[in-house]
Amino acid sequence: MAYVVAVDIGGTFTDLVAFDHDTQKVIYTKSPTTYNNLVEGIVDCFGKGKIAPADANFLNHGTTLVINALIQRKGAKTALVTSAGFRDVLEIARANRPDPFDLHYQRDEPLIPRELRFEVPERTDFKGNVIVPLDDKALETLAAELKHLKIEAIAIFFMNSYHDPANELHAAEILRRLLPDVYITCSTELTREWYEYERCSTAAANAYVGPQVNTYIRRLESEFQSKGYEGPIFMMGSNGGLLSVTRTCRQPIALVESGPIGGCIGAGAFAEALGFDNVVAFDMGGTTAKCALVEHGRFAVDSVYYADGYVKGFPVKSPVINIVEVGSGGGSILWLDDQKRIHVGPQSAGSTPGPVCYGRGGTAPTVTDANLILGRLNADRFLGGELTLDPAAAMKAMSEKIAAPLGYPGDQGAIEMAEGSLAIATVVMAGAIRRVSIEHGLDPRDFALFAYGGCGPLHACAIARELSIPTVIIPPEPGNFSAIGMLLADARIDNAKTLTGLLDDKMVETMRHQYGTMEDEAQQALAREFGATEVSFQRHAEMRFRGQRHNIKVELTGLDSVEAIHDAFTRDYKRRYGFADSKAPAEIQVLMVSAFAKLRRPDIARLPRRAGDGRPETMRPVYFGRAGGMVPTKVYDRGALPIGFAASGPAVIEEYGSTTVIGPGDRFEMGPMGEIRVNCTGK
Amino acid sequence: MDTIRQQTKLDPITLEVLRFGVVSITDQIDANITRTAFSPYVYEYKDFAVGLVDVDGHLVAQSTGGMPPFVADSVGTAVRDGLKIYGRERLFEGDVVVCNHSAVQGQHLNNTVMYTPIFAGSGEKTLIGFFAINVHWIDIGGVVSGHTTDIFMEGLQLRSIKLWSKGEPIEEVYRIIENNTRQPVDLMGDISAQLAGCLLGRDLTIALANRYGVDTFLTAIGIILDQSEAASRAAIRAMPDGVYSAETFLDNDTVTDVPVPIRCKVIVAGDELTIDFTDIAEEAAGNINSGYFGGGMTAARCAFKYLVMPREPANEGVYRPLKLILPEGKIISARPGSPMGGYPFPLPSVMDCVIHALERAVPDQVTGAHFGTHSGFMVHGRRADGSRFLGHDSGHGGWGAGSTNDGAGPFRTMAHGDTRLIPMELQETILPFRVDSLELRADSGGAGKFRGGLGFRKKYVILAPCLLQTNVDRTKFPPWGVQGGKEAKAGRVTLYKTDGTTEVISKVKNYKLVPGDVVVLETGGGGGWGAPSDRSLESIRRDLTRGYITPEGAELDYGVRITAGEVVRK
Repeated sequence: MAYVVAVDIGGTFTDLVAFDHDTQKVIYTKSPTTYNNLVEGIVDCFGKGKIAPADANFLNHGTTLVINALIQRKGAKTALVTSAGFRDVLEIARANRPDPFDLHYQRDEPLIPRELRFEVPERTDFKGNVIVPLDDKALETLAAELKHLKIEAIAIFFMNSYHDPANELHAAEILRRLLPDVYITCSTELTREWYEYERCSTAAANAYVGPQVNTYIRRLESEFQSKGYEGPIFMMGSNGGLLSVTRTCRQPIALVESGPIGGCIGAGAFAEALGFDNVVAFDMGGTTAKCALVEHGRFAVDSVYYADGYVKGFPVKSPVINIVEVGSGGGSILWLDDQKRIHVGPQSAGSTPGPVCYGRGGTAPTVTDANLILGRLNADRFLGGELTLDPAAAMKAMSEKIAAPLGYPGDQGAIEMAEGSLAIATVVMAGAIRRVSIEHGLDPRDFALFAYGGCGPLHACAIARELSIPTVIIPPEPGNFSAIGMLLADARIDNAKTLTGLLDDKMVETMRHQYGTMEDEAQQALAREFGATEVSFQRHAEMRFRGQRHNIKVELTGLDSVEAIHDAFTRDYKRRYGFADSKAPAEIQVLMVSAFAKLRRPDIARLPRRAGDGRPETMRPVYFGRAGGMVPTKVYDRGALPIGFAASGPAVIEEYGSTTVIGPGDRFEMGPMGEIRVNCTGK
Repeated sequence: MDTIRQQTKLDPITLEVLRFGVVSITDQIDANITRTAFSPYVYEYKDFAVGLVDVDGHLVAQSTGGMPPFVADSVGTAVRDGLKIYGRERLFEGDVVVCNHSAVQGQHLNNTVMYTPIFAGSGEKTLIGFFAINVHWIDIGGVVSGHTTDIFMEGLQLRSIKLWSKGEPIEEVYRIIENNTRQPVDLMGDISAQLAGCLLGRDLTIALANRYGVDTFLTAIGIILDQSEAASRAAIRAMPDGVYSAETFLDNDTVTDVPVPIRCKVIVAGDELTIDFTDIAEEAAGNINSGYFGGGMTAARCAFKYLVMPREPANEGVYRPLKLILPEGKIISARPGSPMGGYPFPLPSVMDCVIHALERAVPDQVTGAHFGTHSGFMVHGRRADGSRFLGHDSGHGGWGAGSTNDGAGPFRTMAHGDTRLIPMELQETILPFRVDSLELRADSGGAGKFRGGLGFRKKYVILAPCLLQTNVDRTKFPPWGVQGGKEAKAGRVTLYKTDGTTEVISKVKNYKLVPGDVVVLETGGGGGWGAPSDRSLESIRRDLTRGYITPEGAELDYGVRITAGEVVRK
């Protein structure tokens, strides 16, 4: 046996997918996430799947550990060491108010409070000249104070260090020597881009989560080594690539969006294998829905991420797949305001008390209750029958809280408002997809909708119709899809460096040298960390016309003359803005390198599906307003449907962890890779 | 109360879908403009607004981001002028109209509204509204910096001019614009983004209206406005009736050194709220004037929204119960022709004043005053190689404390929103100064049960000769506290010369700086809420630990004694 194992720790469940290269067998297991000791949940998943760690060769791992520590403020006691005069950069931030009319608007408190932010004499100017040398003595005195304060982690950030990190590295060296047990990070080890607040915030966040991530990884390693596991552990990075454990320990912030990335990778890999150029990856779970665009198997990667959101959160300069999130999930609460306007979310009933139909004390109707009332969910087979749902309670809550106050009495009224609420949720989620498309200058109609997560398949066809998207794809195991994606990930390292100047022959020479150095570093790192021999690279640069203040990101892979680079820039510029002055001089701002190494990954076409429970198809009434009300609807067990099976909606396809609703007029087919393919263009 | 269903034939779901639909269209166009605009005013400062306006020029929906002064209905004002000039019968499908005229918009001439009529329905098409976008045009002529005495010194005025007629561009108008700006490439780029936004917004609105039917669409719009109005009236009804007033002053009007009174009376009667600016200053000789809509109405609506209806989407319905009394010729209702280049400077103080007036009515909702001044810091000049540089920096100050929280900040003023400060690492590469420190200004927040937010102190070391323009106001009339809270420290700009002398230069134009000069910009804090004696010792200790207040400040403001590191009440 030779398993490749992927484990995804989510908010509620820890999911495991294991693929045996020898037998081509796939194992899926699920355990409740164990917050006290996350490793326990993983061990439990191995146990449930009867997988001996000694039989596994690779372990790919995604976790919400980092983002949870940042948002719940459960990180280390961290200090900031910074240039004299600038300890408040972290607190003043960019001084903006994204919520314009809130008189009481406040940003989240900085990760490091003011009394733990320390200044040392030091200054580099904007050209990279050291104008005030680092005062070693002052730093040594400070080290003693930090020791006294029992500081667990230190972030070092100096002004203009993006230009020359010498002072930062020197400070790190001294502090590491004097405080060997303290986790120390400096801003330029994470990003070489300018903008002091963003770099400082990144260093602070990295230091803040550093000790916790290191402890966790050490525990995971020793636990698995003691059970006979000899392979490497790779962590799922927010950039869509795997990271080595060594890199993760140094740069834990690269895991900030580790959780939802697997699904995007899986969507990209499936789309490529199925021959779809462009898909929207749509993941709807209990509390939120997330979407990302995948073009030609590649996703847009943003270079800045806001932990806890743009409105109140803080920036992290770390490449993160561009994912847009809206507060609509299965647990989203339906409510009326004083003017009797219906709202869906963003408050969620979560898993406790959960939707009314869970019978755990929830009183507010939710999206899941609406689905149940309409007959779209099977009360007896929810999560494979682990939970029996109560349709009568859901109906009563919907009637009392929503339908009756709006003048829609009785069960019929509740049913109509349940469907209406889902229609509102649909336009909100479609709005998010539309917005992410427009921000990239794309039309959603040119994409296929690739839906997963526990609730994605319930709503995908309605969203596709709202957006005039012709095709919906539901992959096998939509409830475990994020872990499946992690099985398919490659190794990836991203580096960026600010280099500013006019694009001329001399600049091209400097760029060639600089890119070369960055690629060498990345190649050596991939060889060291993954044993990779074949590495491929992408080069990008942030560019602009001389005199302008806004940059666009241009791919420069393989281009090494002024003319070729200028052409690529004006072409992209024109695509985005409609026109470009092809003679105007251009400037370089930031260089970026992405390095990829392919790892041995399972062939997705061979990922077999879970067998069905052999249940024959049944009928039950499901409400479709468009088809005139409750209509007798075929209910299929997904595992029982053979490849090539095709039928018309309305239909409901059930499986463990998810339910797919096919609307009237839609037509579906079981595709070659076990995916459900729905054509939503019919009347 | 009858339900919507009983009043109209519209069901509540369609209504919700349409409500989301119209706001969503404006947000999509907002995203599109951010992506395609050229000038940083647009994509960095978000100095634009996207709106859907009904057939009478009343705001139906507006993008959710954007600058507060635009949210008051800058787009509807322009459309109403177009309707007055052309009438509905002379506004055709495919027409695109622009307007920046001071007598209409009442703001600086950069703010230019562009709009196009929306015709929908099958067969005989019906006018269902206008799609309108206000964008800060990067340069429209006029003097670069310094003093203006009338609007004609401030640039090109376009009063409801058709840029397109029946689907065809009018090249003469384009040529006029292109030849009256210092930055034709950027401006024409922004204009094409603005135009594309208008046309796409129009088409999305047509698709939405046609999908549900024009009658249903228009009925829904009517209900959306009525519901917002009802929410607004309910909020006013919850306030005690009465006549409330407040006053403050600006230091001067930039020309004469006489304080400028900002006074208002707010009358709450049942479910209506009237703001009376009769006693506010007359229009000024300096260019800090604004017009009735761009100034008075804007400040009134913004203050109302801040205090009464922060969560309700901006539309005409929200503002229906708000009445304005404002005679012509005041600083915020200046006559046509008055200079308006610095139009926004008084507005934060006017908004603060309206909120202050309501202190007695809703003590738990009001906050102490915010620092309330643009605190501009602009350097310009020529480099050794002869090339020009020009850099706008601005001060960010403290906001007032509320009944449950300390004041926040430093932020920009109430007239700003999602406006980000410029990174110092960027400033140092393009401007002839080095920043030696940027720090929170201890003791600048007004004391109180809840302390006002802090201002900052930024120290610039000048490296090459340049000219400085500063604009810090309210130095003589610092931000006040409420409910017994204390006033905050005012802002100021201090010059430390190489010869050891100092000079306060809080409001100067073209002041010559030489290498070695050090300029310190200090911004004001926010006012406190509640008596300082009610502040918990724990909060005072924390403020001391963090250095938000100094030990001397604590003794003076909070009447505590600090002995051996312990804080006790005197």
